[in-house]
Amino acid sequence: MAVKHQQKPAPKTKAPVEEHKKHADEFLAKEEYKQQPEGYRGTDTAKE
Amino acid sequence: MVYRPTFRKQGDGSRCQWENCNPASHAMASDRHRRGADPHNEHRWLPTPSEIRNRISPTHCGGTNLNENDLAVQHLYGVNMNVRYNVPMGTFRSMIISGRGAVVSIWYGVIAPTKYDASPGFTQGHAIYVNERRSSDGAYLVYDPLADGRRAGIPKGPQWWPASLLQRAAEAYPGTNAGCIHASFTKDTEA
Repeated sequence: MAVKHQQKPAPKTKAPVEEHKKHADEFLAKEEYKQQPEGYRGTDTAKE
Repeated sequence: MVYRPTFRKQGDGSRCQWENCNPASHAMASDRHRRGADPHNEHRWLPTPSEIRNRISPTHCGGTNLNENDLAVQHLYGVNMNVRYNVPMGTFRSMIISGRGAVVSIWYGVIAPTKYDASPGFTQGHAIYVNERRSSDGAYLVYDPLADGRRAGIPKGPQWWPASLLQRAAEAYPGTNAGCIHASFTKDTEA
């Protein structure tokens, strides 16, 4: 007699959006990324 | 669906047009930040590269940086961007997935040999606007203000760039650490 197995939910491989939002909020609160680094400069003139 | 701003080209005939990549990118970012809502002040809506340029440098041209543009769009449209330097790519991905758009500093020499090149011969510092990420392949929807289709072979409007290409172009920008990106983020418009 065939045994019916209950289908298991697929394993989660991607963080839900809420996890990304939490990561983003925590990142924005950090001060160290606000400082303009040495060597950073403005953009250049593109070609027509 | 994520709000998509109106595409703004930098080659619009205005003053300093070929140096207006950052103002054009910030015009699109401001549109996204406000989800197209007019702030109803004395400035024109939708945002334009020329209005932002005139706020930054009314009498001269030259390249501009992320902070200058942030100050300009705060004044003009009440848009307070989050400027961050050397953002790890994984964090950048989270920022975009979480509902933010971003202006990104890139080195165009990395884009020049690809089909996304919208300024043949240009190989230096540039700014683009990134609106969203496609989950199926991780590509980013890039609004390159040079991509105006002004002649054959030049892309027109937003294009899906592979994540690896965006990363290589961003980390090649002067003053950027490997695996990182300089970017100015909108608020989370999808909350």
